[in-house]
Amino acid sequence: MNEDWNIVVCVKQVPDADDVTIDPETGRLNRSDAPAVLNSPDANAIEAALELRERVGGGRVTAITMGPPPASAVLEVAVALGADDGVLLTDRAFGGSDTWPTSLALAREAEELDADVVICGEESTDSSTGQVPPGIAAHNEWAQLTYVEELEPRPEDDELIARRDVEGGYERVGAELPVVVAVGFGENDPRTGGLHRKIYAETEFEPDTVDATDLGIEDEVGLANSPTKVGGMDTADPVARENEILESTDELTERIEEAM
Amino acid sequence: MSDVNVDDYDDVWVFVEQHAGTVAPVSWELLAEGRRLADEKDEALVALVIGEDVEEIAADAIARGADRALVADDPVFEPYRADPYGAQFRAVVEDRKPDVVLIGGTHTGRDFAGRVAVPTMAGLTADCTELDVDDEGLLLARRPTFEGDAMATIKCPDHRPQMATVRAGVYEPAEREDGQAVGDDPAEREGAIEFVDVVVDEPDTVSRVLEREVGTVADITDADVLVAAGGGCDGDVAPVQELADVLDGELAASRKAVDEGWVEPSRQVGQTGKTVRPDLYVACGISGAVQHLEGMNDSATVIAINDDPNAPIFEHADHGIVGDLFDVVPELTAQLRDGDDRRVIDA
Amino acid sequence: MTDEANYDGAFDAIVVGAGLAGTAAALTMARRDLDVLVIERGTAPGTKNVFGGVMYTPTLRELVDVEDAPTERYVAEKRYGILSDDGDETAVTMRPQAWNDAPHNDSFTVIRRRFDEWFAEQAVDAGATLVTETTVTDLLKENGTIVGVQTDRPNGAIEAPVVVLAEGANSLVSEGADLKRTDDRKDVAVAVKEVRKFDRDVIEERFRLSGDAGAAYHYFGDGAVGDTVGGGYIYPNKRTISIGVAYRIEDAATRNRSPEDVLNDFKHHPAIAPLVRGGNMVEYSAHAIPEGGVDAMPDLVHDGAVIAGDAAGMVLNNGIHLEGTNMAIESGYHAGDAVADAIEQGRTNARALAPYEENVRNSFVVENLEHYDFFHELIADDRDFLFEDLPRALADAQREYFRMDKTSKDEHVSRAKARMLDATGGWFGAAKKAWKYRKVLS
Repeated sequence: MNEDWNIVVCVKQVPDADDVTIDPETGRLNRSDAPAVLNSPDANAIEAALELRERVGGGRVTAITMGPPPASAVLEVAVALGADDGVLLTDRAFGGSDTWPTSLALAREAEELDADVVICGEESTDSSTGQVPPGIAAHNEWAQLTYVEELEPRPEDDELIARRDVEGGYERVGAELPVVVAVGFGENDPRTGGLHRKIYAETEFEPDTVDATDLGIEDEVGLANSPTKVGGMDTADPVARENEILESTDELTERIEEAM
Repeated sequence: MSDVNVDDYDDVWVFVEQHAGTVAPVSWELLAEGRRLADEKDEALVALVIGEDVEEIAADAIARGADRALVADDPVFEPYRADPYGAQFRAVVEDRKPDVVLIGGTHTGRDFAGRVAVPTMAGLTADCTELDVDDEGLLLARRPTFEGDAMATIKCPDHRPQMATVRAGVYEPAEREDGQAVGDDPAEREGAIEFVDVVVDEPDTVSRVLEREVGTVADITDADVLVAAGGGCDGDVAPVQELADVLDGELAASRKAVDEGWVEPSRQVGQTGKTVRPDLYVACGISGAVQHLEGMNDSATVIAINDDPNAPIFEHADHGIVGDLFDVVPELTAQLRDGDDRRVIDA
Repeated sequence: MTDEANYDGAFDAIVVGAGLAGTAAALTMARRDLDVLVIERGTAPGTKNVFGGVMYTPTLRELVDVEDAPTERYVAEKRYGILSDDGDETAVTMRPQAWNDAPHNDSFTVIRRRFDEWFAEQAVDAGATLVTETTVTDLLKENGTIVGVQTDRPNGAIEAPVVVLAEGANSLVSEGADLKRTDDRKDVAVAVKEVRKFDRDVIEERFRLSGDAGAAYHYFGDGAVGDTVGGGYIYPNKRTISIGVAYRIEDAATRNRSPEDVLNDFKHHPAIAPLVRGGNMVEYSAHAIPEGGVDAMPDLVHDGAVIAGDAAGMVLNNGIHLEGTNMAIESGYHAGDAVADAIEQGRTNARALAPYEENVRNSFVVENLEHYDFFHELIADDRDFLFEDLPRALADAQREYFRMDKTSKDEHVSRAKARMLDATGGWFGAAKKAWKYRKVLS
């Protein structure tokens, strides 16, 4: 019986999706003006982690992130909300990693931290593959629960039960620990952190730093170990719409009938 | 990791997702696209079926265009769980070495695909909206990023298989060849369906399904017509539901309508809701915030009704009316109902 | 694990608001080795700040390297125009060559989100602590002395010897703590602003600019803001143009037109429309501007607290001079300095903090406010002449003076003069007005 769970929450720093613009001259994505923020679905992950700890009745929540040194800002956000600690996985060698090496690094660190539960956001607003949580589970050969609406811990059985959102309904699935969870975007209401905790996060808190060699994966990360490559990025043609404003409902009825 | 010899990998595989004998529509859509890709690459199209008592589904896949089907049939696969599906699929992939693997981008496909791609170090592109092959036969998988503002083209040059999960509703489903019912000609089918070794044992599994309830909750991703209620409804969605009924469609909702409790969450469209691609989307009292547009901007035809002429939704609609939805929507409903009656009389 | 931290008494000073006054104070105190906590309600400094506008940087230059700051354009041209509501414009434009050379008369347009964030970073680099997304709701008092602040976060109270109130024009905390009475309606202006995005060359062509040169255009008259007392402005930035109007809230409440409508009408005036047409709107904001001048300034110093910037009413607006940013920075600097002195001496009551008020009163901040104190009453009393009659009279007189027909020029001059004198009330009336407004330009 384990009344204390080690909960690891994975967070990511992304360009603020609302501020990424398309450069009108080149047609390319301009991320540099967009401030770097916490990936919004991860706010739900942090909240789920904190709630889980409360429901289990004890345990430790550690936030981890993979990124360049400025990414520690999202660890500060997690700590300000109530996470106990944060770990920054940072190394030049990680550059160019797709989900395969990224989830490997996070998986190894989760193992290092002796995680019972790893919680992630549903997907990131920049790459939005949603494949890191299953990737972490696969690298560690752990159980997984994705598209989670609600969590129900059963510490007495070393099991975590989740309500999963599936097409046309839901299912309740129980997974053996350790387990990787992906929380549905918007499924909970992230709390506001206390003032003094936030000051702590801004001042005294320092994340631990870990590099590829510490994790023993220096030859398994980076562009060379990324099976997928981005062949090109272009602006999506905005869907061409007729933008017709009608005066009478008769005309609208006609349009509807035509569309059917 | 040593690079694989890509020449050892052949064939386009399509995963046929089924739950308790019901095939997910996206699987037939991918079968059609898989056929096209297989023909372009001069390779075979193979259907992958996992479940319990699924031979008929395999035959259906062949009737709809697959050259062969590989079937893993065992009680351990019903109901669906990520770890048994992942382990089995991975074993078959390692054994048979497919070139391309297509999986529907459902909460099932996007759940277990990673459990195949990671141990095999396959290249997995998730949530694609477009597929193609380049001159060398390499799969080009295109997907939206940044809330749909940009499209990325992903390739997997040195690793196999090339895997992709694909959004539902992008392709037209593969139909059975004219006049042919499933299992019509068993002689022709013989040898086309192969039962593979089941590598998963119940004691090895790490999850269990306590309950599964589908069909009681609306699946708006499947509807051809959606009529959505937004903040402008101010608590009363009855007129919007009536319009949906007369159009034989489903009620959908913006986040505001769901947060206020006027419509159940399963009907929410948008960034924190569902992504839909119906033939017709009617937005009633919806302002058109980016987070909502992201969920419905691929609809074939969009109609907007809002009393604010500056509402952004009008820029993303084909046809619109500026007006009070409580006047406009019942009028539309009445006119469409009369139209229906007229059509019945004329017929 | 949650909230074992407690920072009561850990900081020497708490600054409410990371705007220009707040950051100037925090930077000054941090450099004097004080532990400073800055509390900002926006997601980042600058997100809640709105101004026209032009930043005047003489004091800023003393605090930071202005060349490193993210400015948009320097002001190479100042234009003042008077608009009638019949579509007429009379304007004077000034482009002294000297403004093209550094330091460009210390006048730059900036984008507040970028500038304030950068400025706050300087304070953080100097050692200040910044928490954002946190709103101060109240002051904590003990026996009449201010001992800290209450915020909207859980466990949101924190104590420190001194609080610097730099909360801006919407000074709810100061008012709530009875340090300031709510501004009289006639002492506050409503400001509405639109920012539109254009290609750089469009901006350069329309305003005759090149490189980093920019312009500041100011307009008044009925054609600018209609039936109220106020004015409109246009400021080109690097890739955007700021267009706005500001006028008395009293008029906003009584005149039945929304601020959005007033701004729209300004934009459609024939003299303005060609300058601002097209482009994409990227920002739309509204804000309040304190205009009460010296008389509306609250007590700047209290036991355990000082008030700086817009919260203290330190904004100069006399139609020609629109200055708030330099006043805010200067007052913030003096506040920081005085607080540091007080902390060093170990006393933080009103007496110990009094040098702040002295220094601010002896600086250009209050000197200018006093000098132009008369302005608003004067303008308000004479509104109809200044905003309605004068623009029309000027336009009519110009038309007459420059009329091309076969009458003699002599005749035209007479008629033009007569038209002007008609508006001013004869020679005597004109002389009275000149006397009345002598102080505006001097």
